Amino acid sequence: MTDSTKKGMNRRSALKLAGATAALTFPGPFINRAYAREVLYVNTWGGPWEESARINWFEPFMRENNVEIKTVSPVSFAKLAAQVKTGVYEFDCTTLGDADIVRANEAGIIEDIKQSPIDQSKLWKDAVFQNGVGSHAFATLISYRKDKFPNGGPQTWAEFFDVKKYPGARCLQRHAGRVLALALLADGVPADKLFPMDIDRAFAKLETIKPAMRVWWTQGPQSGQLLRDGEVDLIGIWQTYPVRLIKEGIPVEMVWNQALLDKAYWVVSKGSPRRELAWKFIQSAVQPERIAKFSLANVYGPLNPKAFDHISAEDAKLTPTSPENIKKVVQQDTSKAGDQMAEANKLFERWISR
Amino acid sequence: MVPPVGSAAIKSGSSDAKAWLLLLPALAFLAVFFLVPLGQVVFFSVMDPGFTLKHYTSFLSDSFYWRVLWGTFQTAGIVTIFALLMSYPLAYMIVRMGGHFATVMLLIIAMSFWTSFLVRTFAWMVILGNNGPLRAILEAFGWSPAPQLLFTRFSSTLAMVHLLIPFMVLALYSVMKKIDMNFVRAARSLGATPFQAFHRVFLPLSAPGIVNGCTLVFIMCLGFYVTPVLLGSPREQMIAGLIGTQIEEFLEFGEASATSVILLLVTLAIFAIYNRFVGLDKLWG
Repeated sequence: MTDSTKKGMNRRSALKLAGATAALTFPGPFINRAYAREVLYVNTWGGPWEESARINWFEPFMRENNVEIKTVSPVSFAKLAAQVKTGVYEFDCTTLGDADIVRANEAGIIEDIKQSPIDQSKLWKDAVFQNGVGSHAFATLISYRKDKFPNGGPQTWAEFFDVKKYPGARCLQRHAGRVLALALLADGVPADKLFPMDIDRAFAKLETIKPAMRVWWTQGPQSGQLLRDGEVDLIGIWQTYPVRLIKEGIPVEMVWNQALLDKAYWVVSKGSPRRELAWKFIQSAVQPERIAKFSLANVYGPLNPKAFDHISAEDAKLTPTSPENIKKVVQQDTSKAGDQMAEANKLFERWISR
Repeated sequence: MVPPVGSAAIKSGSSDAKAWLLLLPALAFLAVFFLVPLGQVVFFSVMDPGFTLKHYTSFLSDSFYWRVLWGTFQTAGIVTIFALLMSYPLAYMIVRMGGHFATVMLLIIAMSFWTSFLVRTFAWMVILGNNGPLRAILEAFGWSPAPQLLFTRFSSTLAMVHLLIPFMVLALYSVMKKIDMNFVRAARSLGATPFQAFHRVFLPLSAPGIVNGCTLVFIMCLGFYVTPVLLGSPREQMIAGLIGTQIEEFLEFGEASATSVILLLVTLAIFAIYNRFVGLDKLWG
């Protein structure tokens, strides 16, 4: 296997050439800066995510500060890494998940929050993680078709992996970090001992459900569609989709127990010429009311606890960070995973196609 | 008129030079947007981090990559053959019938051209799904329970054939419509059966269209990966998807570049062999 961890740092010369070419062919950001109104470039997931971000985050910020926000999608870790090395900034800030933010912070491609105008004492407890500011959370949870399991489906990942007790077609996300963690939970590893992961043990457990894995989902909407059409009977899925399906009256059940929590953090691209503005934007985006509205639109859980003042008790029940659900979910401490994620990713892709 | 830029070639009045001048914008475009990036890919493949051939040796010594590469070519070959088998009669009918039939058929083909690949892929998910019409029809005919169709090699191949048929039909049509039907009539009048007239006269004349269409479809198919991921079996992996993963997930620019170069070289090699034994230039006439 290759020494993948340090390679990112030594690619400088080659990437500079790429940067020079990119600068020649795509001078967009520099031309735009010549206009009177300052522009901030935000990396988004596009689609409904961006729509709700526009209404709840971008528009109020643009009005208050007389700046313009332009978006680039989808979220790309590769671009974040490349633009810091080339100095050509396609976006100034983005959101990263638990595993990626550790990787990004280690590689030195995000700004140090201590150098920022953000006053951490005004944020909530645990708001800052690895130089990112917590925004919202989503969970990978068990969901199943009620018409397939009228007497109730699996309530734990161990039961999800039990093909004898719960026979049926299964589906999980094609995402090494999450799937391996779920396999370890299913094999009885306690939540606080997940990382660093015992990769061999995880694959051994995964092998037991491989024949029942009908498909791996790659896009959020695709996972919802698979469950809606009954293509699969059991699925590990983000809460947004079963919540919507249940509202539509589709016979689907969702299980909060052992839901694997993922948090999204705002980060600023290292060395971006617009970093001050980017931090200012982040500060406005995590305000209780704005993060509450954004989260509601996508059924995410806001990480700012004060946001629940703006969410009805009924809606709060559907979010992974509500006081009730947060006790049932599994919180990952990915900082202990170190650099094993890259290797796990490669092994996982090979394992799937075997 | 060519502006008097004082080039010796122009003064000599050579029509070749003028032709080259007309080609200049296209050549410049290709150089900037095709050759430079391609050169960069080759550069990355041996310069990550310093000069090294390890990205090539690790690819060549790993059976995983060979299996993905072989699977990709196999899929592309199968899809090309089925697309040809289905498109040839259609293109032939369009040329022979002409008139309203041709207009309507070409319009239908153009319409599927304009519909995005992703939309058509999702349409297949609905058609082939557990609660979709195709399984319902099979069950109505007594095949109960009908086999699950989605997430099999059958589904992804079917969809890819459908997605690529318009390219094949148009490639065939553009050649077929120029074929002088008097040749076929002459063959018939000299005693050839309808099949012989087709087999000995029309088919060889349409061969450039077949080569064009197959080349186009084969190469497009090599680059597919969304359709197999959404419709095919989880074990099916296309090399383009692997390259995407190498960049997006692993940040292995060198490895991804080396994989791309190998894909390019193997593709060129296949066409070189084809050219050697079948002779592309003879078919072009």
